Amino acid sequence: MSRAAQSAPDAPPAHPGALAAALRSTPVGMAVIVVALIVLFGVLSPNGAFFRVSNLSTITLNVSVTMLLAVGITYVLAAGELDLSIGSNVVLSAVIAAEVLVSLSGTPEQVRAGEYPNLALGVVAGTIAAILAGTLFGLVNGLLVTRLRINSFIVTLGTMGIGTGLAYVASNGVNVPNVPRSLQTGFGIEKLFGVIPYPMMVVLIISAVLWYMLRRTRFGLYTLAIGSSRDAAERAGIRSRRHILVLFVMMGALAGAAAMLDLTRFATTNIGGHQTTALAAIAAVVIGGTSLFGGRATIAGSMVASLIPVILGTGLVILGVPSFYQLIVVGAILIAAVFIDQRRRERLSS
Amino acid sequence: MGQRVRSEQGKPSSPRSDYVIEATDIVKRFGHVQALSGASLQVRPGEVLALVGDNGAGKSTLTKIICGALTPDSGRLAFWGETTTVTSIRHAQELGVETVYQDLALAPDLSVAENMFLGREPLTRGIFAGWPPSLDRKKMRQAARQAIAAAGISTLNSVDRAVRDLSGGQRQAIAVARAVMWATTAILMDEPTAALGTKQTDIVYESIRSAAARGLAVVVISHDIPKMLSLADRIAVMRQGRTVSNLPARDLTLTDVVTLMLGGHARGEAA
Repeated sequence: MSRAAQSAPDAPPAHPGALAAALRSTPVGMAVIVVALIVLFGVLSPNGAFFRVSNLSTITLNVSVTMLLAVGITYVLAAGELDLSIGSNVVLSAVIAAEVLVSLSGTPEQVRAGEYPNLALGVVAGTIAAILAGTLFGLVNGLLVTRLRINSFIVTLGTMGIGTGLAYVASNGVNVPNVPRSLQTGFGIEKLFGVIPYPMMVVLIISAVLWYMLRRTRFGLYTLAIGSSRDAAERAGIRSRRHILVLFVMMGALAGAAAMLDLTRFATTNIGGHQTTALAAIAAVVIGGTSLFGGRATIAGSMVASLIPVILGTGLVILGVPSFYQLIVVGAILIAAVFIDQRRRERLSS
Repeated sequence: MGQRVRSEQGKPSSPRSDYVIEATDIVKRFGHVQALSGASLQVRPGEVLALVGDNGAGKSTLTKIICGALTPDSGRLAFWGETTTVTSIRHAQELGVETVYQDLALAPDLSVAENMFLGREPLTRGIFAGWPPSLDRKKMRQAARQAIAAAGISTLNSVDRAVRDLSGGQRQAIAVARAVMWATTAILMDEPTAALGTKQTDIVYESIRSAAARGLAVVVISHDIPKMLSLADRIAVMRQGRTVSNLPARDLTLTDVVTLMLGGHARGEAA
């Protein structure tokens, strides 16, 4: 039960059910599954290849962008809304960031020759451009949802196509050329102490802040209140439309940040990618124990559950099983996790 | 959105009127429907006023205007004799007026303590020069526990429980306890016992009496006229968007009230 997990650390120590409730909570359950998977693949893999630090560190690198988006969309779902456009926001923001970064890093002749005399300026401006573009994308989503009062599923289904289309228009359908490799070698695949990839550090810091906000601040409580009962929230004086607008803007800014991380990771704009990113992030969030209908949310659950697809994918490859099976297993886990969660809730309220 | 201090609201030091709430000639139309056509209502501190009337008489509309959920087309609304245009529910709350809605207005996924403080959470200062401010959950729990104990709700073992997991009676009792906790002027209740069993109904009536004993004005909409005759100090009868009488309950019988509701005159009432 995710609520129990949320309140467990604050509960009086004498409360006998708190520990038991925490152990039964979805994030903890998911963590157990993740550890079990790691152990399983580690034992089965030849020479324990799966256990190698380099492998585990690659897994965290591969999961970083999805994890960031999953953490962000936890807020959107917590308020009872949806955002299907985050993948296309990442692509569009990455294209804009890459254009700005490349054009400011040197003259066209210099960058074609692989020289970037103003790289620092380019990187700073590119990062700002990515976050601004993402924020603007989120603002458009939020305004359409809150001012025109169109369902967020429909709005973001529409802007998903619009965003991808704009990215193709802005880049003529090809990845922005001459993105400096040093983005990758200097940051994207660089690791702290040779273990934790820099992009993952960024994701962990942002996630920690968002975790705190959800658990400990009015902003987090109001997000859950709106998702639980919008009428109740408004009667308590919470301005739900403004709050939902802020959530979409925040989601957009995070997609912009994810775009920059993606750009440093691959040193290319990945223009054909991210078509299923939004759904993968939503799946992770729901597996982690957040309600698709709002009111209940757990950042920790989203973080842990976003690891599952990557661990499965990597593990299966190491075992020599075609990675296609990963899709099948993750789909089955999504359905099973929601089913188990529902059953437990029914038992609790009966 | 700063935390409000209770003692700052409510009764002014030198009130201009004996009435906490005074609504005069309130008119409200919804399109072609005339919901209120000159309704009036006065209630004193410490008084329980029952608002009765047939369906569509305008009881809910009148209370929604007083609690800031609706704005009247015309008419005068005064708190302690001070004419006031109530602009929002929050504004009414700042005047010390709390409302218990027919459909409760609790967020089912939030805990009892969170619901009792929703919109008015106490905060603690963060470690970086007061930032970030975070919810003072300890204070919320303590105050919620006290309010619930004061309301006589003994069946609830923890204020950390989600409202979703509570019975209908417990939820209603919490909605009432929340209103009692925050009100400094008046409490408006729209059919507070409609969905409750006998025992739970008694708890709600008990808390209405104790709120009035604390000096709050309580306006109760109810169809349970026999009970209102014993519980309320005064009974206001509404018919077709007007208040047709506002008389002390001890002077009235069930027959009087029903007659007034249907369009006649009570014994002894000046026509």
